[in-house]
Amino acid sequence: MTISSPEQKPVRRGRASESAILFTISGLPFAIASSAVHEIRSADSLSGSATEIGQSVVPKVKHLVHRGNRSYFVVNGCAHFGLKAARPTLVLILRDSPVAILVDKIERMADISAPHALPLAFEGEERRWYRGLSYTDDVIVPVVNPAGFLTRHELRALEEALQASHAEMPAELSGTVAR
Amino acid sequence: MTAAAAIEKSSFVLLQLGRRRFGLSAAIVTELAPPVKLHVFAHQTPMVAGVIVRRGRVIPVYDVTPVLVGKKLPERRFYLVASRNIEGQEELSAIPVDGECELVNAELFPTPEDSPKYVAGVLAIGEETIEILDFEKLVRTSTASPAPRPVELGPFA
Repeated sequence: MTISSPEQKPVRRGRASESAILFTISGLPFAIASSAVHEIRSADSLSGSATEIGQSVVPKVKHLVHRGNRSYFVVNGCAHFGLKAARPTLVLILRDSPVAILVDKIERMADISAPHALPLAFEGEERRWYRGLSYTDDVIVPVVNPAGFLTRHELRALEEALQASHAEMPAELSGTVAR
Repeated sequence: MTAAAAIEKSSFVLLQLGRRRFGLSAAIVTELAPPVKLHVFAHQTPMVAGVIVRRGRVIPVYDVTPVLVGKKLPERRFYLVASRNIEGQEELSAIPVDGECELVNAELFPTPEDSPKYVAGVLAIGEETIEILDFEKLVRTSTASPAPRPVELGPFA
């Protein structure tokens, strides 16, 4: 066994890249594929179109927002990732699921290396949260799995809560659990 | 067993944490990495402090210092990298150490009855008794309290 010299090989060498949005929640870095995000809005600008959902089954979701003819469950990023509460300012509206994410700040867009698989040592919810880990500008960032914010069970519970509270429910939300 | 295998079996890497020394079987240790950057991100796995990057590989770092010496990670630390078998796959993991490590050949004595479960045996070196760590059991030892849950749910609330 020897003491190794400082690393010289960047982990991204030779790996494919993809366009991503780098953002933070509670000061921690995240990335999401640009193709997974339909729209980025300020939280304040959406508050007028938000409907409060009276349910406690999925505590990280308190609101539904309407954009165009679609509706999205608003997931609080701090609550989802189990982080210290922060004051989110932006909402990432996802493209292929009825989910919007409250985040603190967008850092920038960047080409990131194709994600490395999450090491097997990680055995918590993060296995569902992330597609893997990527390396950009000397920082390892977890690349979120857009389908990991709400499980089928959670989506079904939210839809049932909406129906039970007689909230207005756009037709296209029906059947969204069958992703 | 060959002579080389016998020597390897009784070879240990001694690591420094605070004022104490511990040992790991040399057979599972791959390198002592310099104080590279610890990358931290959100997760829920107890004991894992983050990851380091070594030779193009992402290596999880277990914060074992609270378990072994009852304090937080040292500010400037080296990382002792060892292999684990997880679900039939070999994977590298690291633990932070305070400084350089030492390779010794010594006889492993049985674990005293009152030792923690992560102690695989002890070495007697001079007047010092050094606990040899069972890496797998050590990283499964949790002292972490649950992360605080947020109570404020943002501007929509």
